[in-house]
Amino acid sequence: MMNRRAFSFFAAVVLAVPVFTSSQALAADELRVLVHSSFSLPKPLLAQFEADAGTKLSVIKGGDAGEMLNKLILTRAQPIADVVFGLDNALVVKAQAANVLDAYTGAASQRAVAVPLAGNVVPVDYGFVNLNYDKAWFAKSGVPLPKSLEELAQPAYRNLLVVENPATSSPGYAFMLATVAGLGEEAAFDWWGRMRANGVKVAKGWSEAYNAEFSRNGGSRPLVVSYASSPAAEVFYSKEKIAESPTASLFLKGGVFRQVEGVALVRGGQQREAAVRFVEFLRSAAVQEALQTSMWMYAAEPRTPRPEVLRHAVEPAAFDNPSPETIAGKGSEWVDRWTRVVLK
Amino acid sequence: MRRQSLLHASALVAVPLAFLGLVMVAPLLRLGIEASAGANTAMFVSMLHDGYLQRRVGWSVLQAALTCAAALLWGLPVAWVLARYDFAGRVLVLRLLMLPFVVPTLVAALGVLALWGPRGLFSRWLGLDLQDTPWLLLYGNLFFNLCLVVRAGVDALGQVSSARVAVARTLGATPWRVFWRVEWPAILPWLASSLCLVFLYCFSGFGLALILGGQRYSTVEVEIYTLVAHELKLAQAGALALGMLLLTGLVALAYAAMEQRLSAPVRADTMARKRPAGPWQWAAVGGAMAVLAFFCAAPLLAILAGAAGAGAPSWAVLLEDDTLQALWNTLRFTGMALLLATLLGVTHALAARRSVWLRAAAFLPFVVSPVTVAFGLLLLYPRWSASMLLLVSAYALLAYPFVAKSLGAALDGLPEHVLQAARTLGATPWRGFWRVTLPMVAPTLRRGMAFAAATALGEFAVTLFLSRPEWATLTTLIYQHLGRPGAANRDAALVLATVLMLLALLAFLLIESPQRRPGQPADAGLRELVRA
Repeated sequence: MMNRRAFSFFAAVVLAVPVFTSSQALAADELRVLVHSSFSLPKPLLAQFEADAGTKLSVIKGGDAGEMLNKLILTRAQPIADVVFGLDNALVVKAQAANVLDAYTGAASQRAVAVPLAGNVVPVDYGFVNLNYDKAWFAKSGVPLPKSLEELAQPAYRNLLVVENPATSSPGYAFMLATVAGLGEEAAFDWWGRMRANGVKVAKGWSEAYNAEFSRNGGSRPLVVSYASSPAAEVFYSKEKIAESPTASLFLKGGVFRQVEGVALVRGGQQREAAVRFVEFLRSAAVQEALQTSMWMYAAEPRTPRPEVLRHAVEPAAFDNPSPETIAGKGSEWVDRWTRVVLK
Repeated sequence: MRRQSLLHASALVAVPLAFLGLVMVAPLLRLGIEASAGANTAMFVSMLHDGYLQRRVGWSVLQAALTCAAALLWGLPVAWVLARYDFAGRVLVLRLLMLPFVVPTLVAALGVLALWGPRGLFSRWLGLDLQDTPWLLLYGNLFFNLCLVVRAGVDALGQVSSARVAVARTLGATPWRVFWRVEWPAILPWLASSLCLVFLYCFSGFGLALILGGQRYSTVEVEIYTLVAHELKLAQAGALALGMLLLTGLVALAYAAMEQRLSAPVRADTMARKRPAGPWQWAAVGGAMAVLAFFCAAPLLAILAGAAGAGAPSWAVLLEDDTLQALWNTLRFTGMALLLATLLGVTHALAARRSVWLRAAAFLPFVVSPVTVAFGLLLLYPRWSASMLLLVSAYALLAYPFVAKSLGAALDGLPEHVLQAARTLGATPWRGFWRVTLPMVAPTLRRGMAFAAATALGEFAVTLFLSRPEWATLTTLIYQHLGRPGAANRDAALVLATVLMLLALLAFLLIESPQRRPGQPADAGLRELVRA
């Protein structure tokens, strides 16, 4: 009796085989696009591209931007993609040095842009990494907003800040770079050392910091390293219609990093014609407008209309970026030093 | 006949070994070649003397060992109650126990924080803040791992010979003494197996503990992940991964040797469960349920409460195309992974009966650092890197040890004479397996399959490998929502997590449908068979 049941169970499992085999199609004439995990564009736009270019689009998510670049470097003998989106100004020089990108000279690279990007990467969008604060918490506690990073290291701000680990998170890395550029290397790590004593909490990535540590959600920290666009996203994804965002950006000297993301051709990739079309596609008016509320970045094309909700995403007047060459030369050393100072 | 069965075993072993070779060992070797370019002795020496790394290793061992001790302390009494007493809802409790396994780590953390966080339910009642303390971390570890010990304990206690217990009782042994002298020796191999898993999970753990404890409590696996994925320092990562492999490999090998030495065929006279009688026995049942409620159910209920409180607009996420596609993907990937994992697990368990090394090899997928496997695969099979085949293989790799381990333990306990009788009566080895062995080990096999399905339904492989948006599973979708600001996204994540739990429960009930009426001895099918 029992073995009949066992048999019927196995039969049911074996029925799954056709599913397994049928979905195993490797198309040869598709354009392979490697993207970071935050990539998101409306499906109709992608479908329109496939129709216009006459090719199938195969989007491959390669993890966080830094992780994605490492995968590209590791497989450069047999590239896993034809075109890559999501390399930013913190990574372009590393990509350049590893020789994994081809130059692009098409129309998009000739047009004026709101933000420049070095190397062979064509800018597509930009944003800012900076502190966000929980408005309700500061209103209720009566603690004044800090006016400088220096103030954050004072006892009044003990246990109030959560940052992402620069070794595992790109906003965390960007914020660390901004502190070094804004305060100077020695002063920056001295500040981080004092922040450690003052109870800065380190989370693995943005999702952990924002959802589990930020006081607006489940945590206890009213200050979090996030993006200038986050307050707008809070309004956009609110449950009821709200006129004002529950969070706001705090732009402090040494606490703002401008991130510019772009698209590039992969050296050794195939489908060059379609790849070129894809680069142009990302700079087309439709994509430039859509990405502002799908990826929460600002458009690189200067005359792109801003959606109304981006009114809540105030752009900072100033930012502190080390030069791309400095980042490539010393970035990894700084991460090691940061780990020693803050975690070890 | 022994010669023949050995031949049989060597043919079977080719299946899991070929798979392990292709999907794990070859990629690791390939990565090793890449890494060896940058390796030198000075680097190894400096790593050995790095105080930070030493503390990381020390902490990894300590928290894993503490979790094992706590899981045994809380899990064994609960298992004893579930194995000895029959009460309404017992079977459901056993299935529900596995739910922590499928909940995405960050969602589980949100559930725990809703109870123990700064504004959590328990924190406010008790007026204490456990955030950033090791206690919360240990709680997180138990939430995920208690079920492993309890389920193994229930299975093990179900195999204890009732005649031996009865004899011991007749000779005047107290129940306590019976437990120590009769039951404990019989269940030790099973418990050791599950504790070994708990140790390995906690040791190489990424998950909940890290979110709850913060980065200061990070384990060595996190170091390796950072070195490989973000810094591409393959030589250092390789050295570290190798060191960990030696350490965890020893654990696996020690366990395998112990299991083989301790294994003894069980008698076919298992103990019947009885209804609790009297206030003490009911109190025991109540206590066991309270332990499970505290460690396992409470965070899940907090998630459910969050989802229920999200309101109708948030539940509309269920009707979105993305959700339906993720649901379908979750189902088919789990189905495919389960199929492959069962095939690999059964062949491995059958082949490993007489070899300590093969037994230990079943732990390999848990012992080897996953991120190194992921990058090795990428390097070795770039053309296949974003293919469905590789994705399903990765799922199966992390799922099949559950099948192999639980089936292995069941095969050890199998009385040999029944199979010998069948063979004497002219049954081919295949027929003997199909008609005698399989029916007898079916319950344990199903338990292993349920755990395998749980790992596939959960997040284990998803983040490390290349994936495509159209392959998003429920877990990936949940992480996408949590990757954006806004209350609507968080509510959607909680709703989707609820759906994932319901789906998983359904899968567990299907895989482990109750096979026998309460009180019916485990070998009823066997007797039927012998009579027929």
